[in-house]
Amino acid sequence: MTEVQDSVFDADIHAKAKEIISRYPQSRSALLPMLHLVQSVQGHVSQEGIAFCGKHLDLTDAEVSAVATFYTMYKRKPCGEHLLSVCTNTLCAAMGGDAIYRKLQEHLGAEGKPLGHEATAGTPGEPGSITLEHAECLAACDLAPVLQVNYEFYDNQTEQSAVELVDALQRGEKPAPTRGAPLTDLKSAELQLAGFFPEDAERFAADVDGPSAATETLRGAALAQERGWVAPPMREENA
Amino acid sequence: MTMAPEETETEVPEGHVKLIVDGEEVIAPKGELLIRTAERLGTVIPRFCDHPLLDPAGACRQCLVEVEMGGRPMPKPQASCTMTVADGMVVKTQRTSPVADKAQQGVMELLLINHPLDCPVCDKGGECPLQNQAMAHGRASSRFVDTKRTFPKPLPISSQVLLDRERCVLCQRCTRFSAQIAGDPFIELLERGVHQQVGTAETAAVFSGTPAPEPSDMASKTSSGAPFQSYFSGNTIQICPVGALTSAAYRFRSRPFDLVSSPSVCEHCSSGCAERTDFRRGKVMRRLAGDDPDVNEEWICDKGRFAFRYAAASDRIRKPLVRDAKTGELVETSWTEALRVAADALSKARDARGAAVLTGGRLTVEDAYAYSKFARIALRTNDIDFRARAHSAEELDFLAGVVGTTPDHVSFAAIERAPTVLCVAIEPEDEAPIVFLRLRKAALKHSTKVVHVGQWTTSSVRKTNGELLACEPGGEAAALDGIAQHAKDLDAGLAEAGAVILLGERAAEVVGLFSAVQRLAERTGAKVAWIPRRAGERGALEAGAAPTLLPGGAAVSDADARAALESAWRLDAGVLPSSPGRDTTGILWAAATGDLDALVVGGIDPDDLPDPALARKALAAAGFVLSMEMRPSAVTEHADVVLPIATVDEKSGRFLNWEGRPRPFTVTLEGTNALPDCRVLDTLAVEMDADLFTQTPQASFADFERAVSAGRSVVRETNGSGTAEHSRPHAGESNGNGKLKLATWRQLIDEGSLQAGEPHLAGTARTAVVRLSAATARDHGIEPGEHATVSTERGELTLPAEIADLPDGVVWVPARSPVSIRTALGVGHGGAVSLSGGTA
Ligand code: SF4
Ligand code: SF4
Ligand code: FES
Ligand code: FES
Repeated sequence: MTEVQDSVFDADIHAKAKEIISRYPQSRSALLPMLHLVQSVQGHVSQEGIAFCGKHLDLTDAEVSAVATFYTMYKRKPCGEHLLSVCTNTLCAAMGGDAIYRKLQEHLGAEGKPLGHEATAGTPGEPGSITLEHAECLAACDLAPVLQVNYEFYDNQTEQSAVELVDALQRGEKPAPTRGAPLTDLKSAELQLAGFFPEDAERFAADVDGPSAATETLRGAALAQERGWVAPPMREENA
Repeated sequence: MTMAPEETETEVPEGHVKLIVDGEEVIAPKGELLIRTAERLGTVIPRFCDHPLLDPAGACRQCLVEVEMGGRPMPKPQASCTMTVADGMVVKTQRTSPVADKAQQGVMELLLINHPLDCPVCDKGGECPLQNQAMAHGRASSRFVDTKRTFPKPLPISSQVLLDRERCVLCQRCTRFSAQIAGDPFIELLERGVHQQVGTAETAAVFSGTPAPEPSDMASKTSSGAPFQSYFSGNTIQICPVGALTSAAYRFRSRPFDLVSSPSVCEHCSSGCAERTDFRRGKVMRRLAGDDPDVNEEWICDKGRFAFRYAAASDRIRKPLVRDAKTGELVETSWTEALRVAADALSKARDARGAAVLTGGRLTVEDAYAYSKFARIALRTNDIDFRARAHSAEELDFLAGVVGTTPDHVSFAAIERAPTVLCVAIEPEDEAPIVFLRLRKAALKHSTKVVHVGQWTTSSVRKTNGELLACEPGGEAAALDGIAQHAKDLDAGLAEAGAVILLGERAAEVVGLFSAVQRLAERTGAKVAWIPRRAGERGALEAGAAPTLLPGGAAVSDADARAALESAWRLDAGVLPSSPGRDTTGILWAAATGDLDALVVGGIDPDDLPDPALARKALAAAGFVLSMEMRPSAVTEHADVVLPIATVDEKSGRFLNWEGRPRPFTVTLEGTNALPDCRVLDTLAVEMDADLFTQTPQASFADFERAVSAGRSVVRETNGSGTAEHSRPHAGESNGNGKLKLATWRQLIDEGSLQAGEPHLAGTARTAVVRLSAATARDHGIEPGEHATVSTERGELTLPAEIADLPDGVVWVPARSPVSIRTALGVGHGGAVSLSGGTA
């Protein structure tokens, strides 16, 4: 295959791309992690990033774009150091997610204008810059309302705790998520999404493992057990 | 619930099922789509995404019908373009089902929600499936009161295709065509949900409100970063059921109801595509693909679609020109005068050292026949050749066996059915695009094994899922001879019934290739088809516009055949010249060295010839040059008389495509007064006291058929027994003195003269590059992306270098993009060249 060289992506990234491709029997299957890989470099999927994937996978730019534009996790515009996702799906919304999102929009907005969806407070890429988005269900309804920074969870949020979190991020701090790995930045998270983890086994375990059930998660089950509730038996399909 | 009528006695043949559509019982082949079954019954179900040549997608939901299976109605209306027939099915279309009708109206209403309804300024207005079906199956008015989705428009996704996302109904015909049929996914479905749209990587970045970037930035890119161009993109314009994809060349030029349509045949390559030419007030506005399942199905290439403006060029020669003896300038004259001057000069030349004819490869059968007969009876010579390209004596011998073959020998359908196809010295996508599409279809639908004997993995190889049998340029014959030993699978494949070998024009540049092909074919039983690049070559061959062959293919040296032809032509016995004539190079050499006094030249560009320098010398040296042309060319400056001739739009006639299939067409633009070559030659011959009987294409064809059947009545001796004279050295066909071998062929879109005047088409030409292997580049200090210079003692050519899987020591350059390599380097395919790093 033709050697691909360009300025944005260095030799290490080309090597990583080849490693990703080698994981799949069909090279085009590697596209999703490849798109995360280019995001780990630029913080978003740029036209160069699209071309990079196309070259490595022998796809046209149009084909790569079709995929890149389909998924929300691929960002088309440069993002901040952190990506802040506020769940505004039904349960979180009802539990305060909508209010949190509105509050953060105002708090991060400038000149009296609320910050829009997928817009960035600060200069993209600079320390303390934050891209805000509203997200669909983050699969943590039990801990609603939740938000994520670089896909790490902050559970049971309030307007106030969310504002405090944002202020800390802007000051350059990395407040610990409620569970899971310590907070890094969006680009580092993207590298993990591309399938590259720290070499050291302990860190690796810490990064990927997390408690899978909180008290809230099991509250219903516990209550049912306590009170002896069981699900009604399946009705026989009347033939 | 509808009960299937109980006692129907209709026999259901094997592989068929019985169902009821709108209360009518039908027998349908298993696997038939409901939308087709309904069509057979005369019911047109509205549709957008459905296309008979594309795989079903069910994307637009316009074709909903009610379906009952086993007495149970399906809970929701079903898409009739994706559902196949089944035994006992009861189907109700909009004709009999209010539910289906309402569902269709609902879908239509949704499709129109974001549609701009700008029909009055839309190219598609008047021939628009959306417009028509909205009238037939839509609600009278919309209930939608909100703001429509808008987009910046139009976005050029290539220099010839413009995208208007507002009008798109997301049927995915364009994306499916480009991925499935052409194998060029240059347009894709982007975004999701309410933002869904078609486009390229570049258009994806053009959101509402963002100013449109430079047009050149909008085309999709290839993996080498060059704009991604498809030779077939124009088809997406034609099959888009709305005005979302429009043609840059045609946009805002006319309305469908102002156009007159005429069936026509493409004059470019030997595929012989059926086309439709639309004109208005004497001017051709556009060309579309015609529907011919045996040949081009419903597709044409972009050259056939867009390259027609040459005919309306402002420099068309409309009046005869004669060179003024005093000033040396060409001046307009009357036909009478010009014909008299030409006839006098040609008669004088004929009676002195002779006159010869070069016809060019773009003639109809009728016109080629007139040249052929003109040479034999007006000029009394066999010095005639249609091959305005590299050619060889071996080729003529081979072609003698091609004459008279019909689609029964090898056809498009045979290619599609073939278990194995071996492509030799041909780059199908560049040289015969519709052959390429059939090969791709064969590979994809019927798992045909396609093997290409060539130098690198070209797009033709990749897109036919092909295999490359790599060899040095010039080494093709040896590669074929090695198949038995080194490629046993292929050998076995070629021995299977229906296997085909396709042979291109480049074969004439490889010594011994024709006999190697014949050996291979005889040994394996595979059938051989010759696929010339130009539309007129096969017809010219049949018409005897060749130095060794008479009309119908008998050898000129065959006395019985000559006698039969003499009687058919009502000539005195023994008047036809009996010695084989000179071929193109022989003619040029003779003219250059004073062995010929005059040349009659049809549509020829000296830069296409094997030795352009010799051609120019010959044209300059010949005492008299008659040029029969549409537009000024390099021949014009040497011509003593120029006679204007008609374009394909202005005359009738027929091409013979590579299959040997007649492709007749009628006059599109009536009343232009432009005369076909056959008519001009007929009158000229009369001035020279010879009767051609080719006053009209009809007369010419009738006379041609008489000549051919006269030839058939005699038993042919041996095919091609007479071989052209080869005594002269081939000037300039020195093979160069470099250390590397040159591989070359013409790209579909290049500097060819019939592509003049169409910048939108030219914008989609493939970038000209030098291709070479990584090792060759390294050895010569060439970095990919930088420039490389290919040179001979004749000259040099500098182009960007691109690495490809060529054999080491071989370089590839396109033959006429941007210049003729024959002119620049003096060598062709297989020539020896030198290589160095070069600056742009
Ligand atoms: S551009 Fe035309 S062909 Fe393509 S999806 Fe839209 S409507 Fe269909
Ligand atoms: S494939 Fe050949 S005949 Fe068909 S449209 Fe193209 S150039 Fe014309
Ligand atoms: S609704 Fe917010 S996590 Fe499910
Ligand atoms: S025509 Fe059936 S879904 Fe489009």
